[in-house]
Amino acid sequence: MGGLETFRAPRSLDEAAEILRAGNVTVLAGGTDVMPQSRIGKLKLQPVLMSLRGVPELKGIREAVGVVRLGALVTISELLESALVRERLKVLWQACDHFASDQIRNAATVGGNLCNASPAGDTLVPLLALDASAVLASKPNGKVQERRVPLAEFFTGPGRTVRTGAELLAAVEVPLPPEDAVGEFYKHGTRPGLDISAIAIAFAARREGQVLRNVRVAFGAVAPTPIRAPRTEAALEGRAPDEQALEAAARAALGEVHPISDLRASDWYRRELIHNMLKRVVTHACKL
Amino acid sequence: MPASFDIAFTLNGVKRELNVPAGMSALEMLRDKLGLTGTKYGCGEGECGACTILVDGRSMNSCLLFAADCDGRELVTIEGVATTPRGERLRDAFVANGAVQCGFCTPGLMVQASNLIERQPGAGEAEIRRGIEGNLCRCTGYRKIIDAIASAAAGAPEGANHGQR
Amino acid sequence: MGSAETKPGSDPKRENRGLTPSTLIGKRIPKLDAPDKAIGKTRYIHDLEVPGALHARILRSTQVHARIVSIDTSAARALPGVHAVITAADVPWQRPIGVAKDHLPLKTDRVRSLRDEVAAVAADSEEIAEAALKLIRVQYEPLPVVATPDQALAPGAPLIHPEPHGADASSPQLKSAGAPVAFAGKPDNIAMTFEYAQGDVAKGEAESDFVVEDVFKLHYVTHCCMGVSGVIAEFDPNGNLLLYSNTQVPFLHKREFAELLGIDPARIRIIQPPIGGGFGSKLDIYPFEPIVIFLAKITRRPVKMVFTREEEFLASPTRQPVLLKLRSGCRKDGALTFRTVETLHDNGAYTSWGATTPFVMMQTISSLYRVPHCKYLTRAVYTNNPYAGSFRGYGNLQATFAVEAHMDKLADAVGIDALAFRLKNAQEPGEVTPQGMHFKSCGFKDCLSTAAARADFLKKQAENRARWKDPNPVKRGVGIASMLHVGGGAKIYPSDGCGTILKIDDFAHVTLMTGASEIGQGSETVLSQLVCEELGLPLSAVTVVNNDTDITPWDVGVHASRTTFIAGNSAIGAARKAKTKILSAAAAKSGVAEDVLDLRGGCVVRKDTGEKLFELGKFLRGLHFSDRAELVMTTFYYEPPSKHQDKEFRGDVSAAYAWATQVCEVEVDTQTGIVRLLKVTGAHDVGRVLNRLGIEGQIEGGIVMGQGYALTEDLMVEGGVVKNPNFRDYKLVTAPEIPEMDVTFIETMDGEGPQGAKGVGEAPAICIAAAVANAIYNATGTRIYALPFTPENVYRALHGAAKVPSWSAAA
Repeated sequence: MGGLETFRAPRSLDEAAEILRAGNVTVLAGGTDVMPQSRIGKLKLQPVLMSLRGVPELKGIREAVGVVRLGALVTISELLESALVRERLKVLWQACDHFASDQIRNAATVGGNLCNASPAGDTLVPLLALDASAVLASKPNGKVQERRVPLAEFFTGPGRTVRTGAELLAAVEVPLPPEDAVGEFYKHGTRPGLDISAIAIAFAARREGQVLRNVRVAFGAVAPTPIRAPRTEAALEGRAPDEQALEAAARAALGEVHPISDLRASDWYRRELIHNMLKRVVTHACKL
Repeated sequence: MPASFDIAFTLNGVKRELNVPAGMSALEMLRDKLGLTGTKYGCGEGECGACTILVDGRSMNSCLLFAADCDGRELVTIEGVATTPRGERLRDAFVANGAVQCGFCTPGLMVQASNLIERQPGAGEAEIRRGIEGNLCRCTGYRKIIDAIASAAAGAPEGANHGQR
Repeated sequence: MGSAETKPGSDPKRENRGLTPSTLIGKRIPKLDAPDKAIGKTRYIHDLEVPGALHARILRSTQVHARIVSIDTSAARALPGVHAVITAADVPWQRPIGVAKDHLPLKTDRVRSLRDEVAAVAADSEEIAEAALKLIRVQYEPLPVVATPDQALAPGAPLIHPEPHGADASSPQLKSAGAPVAFAGKPDNIAMTFEYAQGDVAKGEAESDFVVEDVFKLHYVTHCCMGVSGVIAEFDPNGNLLLYSNTQVPFLHKREFAELLGIDPARIRIIQPPIGGGFGSKLDIYPFEPIVIFLAKITRRPVKMVFTREEEFLASPTRQPVLLKLRSGCRKDGALTFRTVETLHDNGAYTSWGATTPFVMMQTISSLYRVPHCKYLTRAVYTNNPYAGSFRGYGNLQATFAVEAHMDKLADAVGIDALAFRLKNAQEPGEVTPQGMHFKSCGFKDCLSTAAARADFLKKQAENRARWKDPNPVKRGVGIASMLHVGGGAKIYPSDGCGTILKIDDFAHVTLMTGASEIGQGSETVLSQLVCEELGLPLSAVTVVNNDTDITPWDVGVHASRTTFIAGNSAIGAARKAKTKILSAAAAKSGVAEDVLDLRGGCVVRKDTGEKLFELGKFLRGLHFSDRAELVMTTFYYEPPSKHQDKEFRGDVSAAYAWATQVCEVEVDTQTGIVRLLKVTGAHDVGRVLNRLGIEGQIEGGIVMGQGYALTEDLMVEGGVVKNPNFRDYKLVTAPEIPEMDVTFIETMDGEGPQGAKGVGEAPAICIAAAVANAIYNATGTRIYALPFTPENVYRALHGAAKVPSWSAAA
């Protein structure tokens, strides 16, 4: 049996980190993944269920010296309502707009979405394309410490990250893209939200005249984790997004994705979508 | 015995103290412990919206919320929404517009609509459709639900007069 | 006494004007049950707490097909809070249930699908019952799985029902005869066969200038009622059974449960709390219901069981999946010559109503359009898959999908436009089809012309076709399809009738006791409306009682789009009898001739002038508290003038027939395969609109259900395993996806219908998939023969990577 023994609701980061240090903790943020996954047995609840809701350090969206810090407890709705996110992190905002339903957006947090580490997680793909980093907090020696992990190194497999059991995801830091950045998020599905993507694409870049610079491309649901696609980026970097460049990028992408077949889509179809929609996403982002 | 916890919260404007089992959902607490059966179980995984309630002024799926995590929060269920002027306006609009058939999804939609109108008073067709994307209805085809919410948002129900008996 | 009693009103002018006739028919009448439902006050079965009730859970098979070697329930029985753990061995007297009586509620020595019930627990709480299930040890010996009808028909295929199974005939409980005690078993996997023929298809083919043949594949979908299944069973000390049930057919089930228990049906009472959706799913008994009854009997406690959503997906019925081969022909002038149809129905492991969908399918094949020569064959074949029940439309979605594809293909072959081709072959009023259906009212041609005109169908169709080679990857298409369905009941049982008891109290308040169940469709509202129309009363003057077999008179049940028509006529009959009684008493009292009197505005009035003679409540009190004391209470039983089909499936099975045409406009993204339904233009021959609000709701809901069938819903069954038993991956249509809907009602004023109305419940769901298929062809030039049109399926079809349905081993 074992199972859940106690419920904790710390009031500070320090207290939360201390509870974590003691071990055997399931961390609860919005609960939109923890509850259903624990009910079907996909997630085994540890003896301690710790709700982070009362930890003030994990809340809020703050901008400081070219970096936007998204507290791990920031909900998807809060991201959607943030003018900063809408105007400067458009690709993330678009992903939030495609995220589940209003009820879930009101509960689900960006930290929870990252730690759940689904290959199809909606905010993961744009955050990867935005070069975001995870801020992990722990209290190894009686003092809260932080370490930063680039998101590209954060995910290690479906549902797995580099976060240790003693660590808490405190925030996500996103370097503020330049004002002239372009970006676009695409999630494949028949519904605007409330859909688990068959594939997702996030594209971010700067335009220098006709030419694309600082190209970042990330894909979701085509590998065990959401991935950056360096060869795809290289195929577009420094080039005007004409048909030739787009086709080269799409071909490079096919070399970088390793989709599986499941009940949502076959690997073949996912590859077709990556090819077709990458071209459309870049075209649309550049308003060609 | 599984562990249980004492929690205190506000439910439909009334302070409550309760002892809840660790793994219990807010939905189970409302229905089984508190007898508020207007909130419905439809799927238990946040896909259908039949269990929508307001938590600290935001709509959420109560099936995804741990009862223990309701400590210190303010919960409003359909029973609470129904007694507000906005809830009454919505009820009249749902009735007058034919937005109710089997009615099982309706309380969840009422709560969601109430939250939608509060947050987006000027919501139009597109916003309303998106606003209720998390509420499944198998009977109506949504058209009349959208119309009802639009009419409630606009103020007056369309010639509502449901007061038989 | 003896003189007309006119009470001076406060406004003499108004009084002098009298009461002019007013009507409720065609108005927008809000549903009577809507306010309570809107505020969460309505108590569904899930919300009912019977004091002292135990909670039941069922252990289902973990194997698709296996022998049960042993079941060990000892640990489960020992768990505190467990009152009973039962297996088939504990109920040796259980009898097979279902349409073919081939299904034992608790399985004996074999499981035939993953949903199969192996054991059940009654405990103090659901949690304890659930924990007890985990303690039951079942040993299986796997058997080869029959995953498709083709496999089931292959020579040497494993048999699903090789041996008899059923009750131990020596059980003392089996005193009464009647229902089969055991299912005899089947030497092959064919559950049912349906054959129908009219004319001579060989002759028809010889006369044809064009012939087309295709194989169509129709998938699994399921009802997804928002309220999951549930039941509460309770015995009194005398052994009388009280059931709180979601059934759509309480009176039929009363009898069936009685047979199952070997008791007199008179000892069973069924109460129907409001239900969270039906759509046909509750027309059959499913094992959980008898099992809960067994538990109640054994524990002598009330027992309640409510499904989880996953269980609802796994263990409630589906729509009938069908493989259908259609061969059709026509002459150069566009006249249809023949149709040959063969279908394979995947029956699943047991037989429910899905197997009998040929009753409806052959009507569409033979009689939607005029076809002189037809041949129809269905084999419903046992497999280890989930089994199909009845589902709104009952086979008609499948048949219409095939027929309307061929209407387009033949029209193209002949070179006539799709509308003209259909108009040429469409039925007209007065026709009697070779199958014996008599279309006394028929607005089919009006439906076709109206829908086509309002959708600008022909112009758009031509424009879209001209854009096939256009570089834009997003295409537009428009498609048309029509349907015929029973609209005046369906005489399948010995009676297709419905009873009404009506009483009017001392205050002119009417209690309408009807056999017809409210399942959310609005029957109690429309029945009240029809009664008020007769009695000149406001809707607020009626209370409907429709949920208790100890009170309400007999009715077949809610199915076949029959309730408004049959129960409506019954309610009108009872109201007219009451009216006659009142007017005759009023005539005697006032001295005014009865045929000059009428009921209006809550009063007895003079028909010609509207002059008020009596206020109705006061008049009724006068009747009651007189020396010849009398109450106004009437009964009426309506039996429609329809006929049973004969053994060759011929007969005028419905008192009226409903027609509809729907035009669907779609957008097809050829780079993703995503199809969006933009607009549905429908024209429905509904006889007459009674409650405009209600009928719009039925049509809109049906359209969106049809949209789900066409585009989003797909119960994925692989090797007998349902892969997506949840709303995450079984996709119902959500609000952002619904199309613009333009619906026109064609009022043909059916002579037999209540106020001229015909049934409409199933009609709107039927054509959508067929019209969408035609629209996708119009958009892309690609015809897709298999549903659903989910993005990958469409993308594959557009890029030559789809598997086209074929007719193979079944041949």
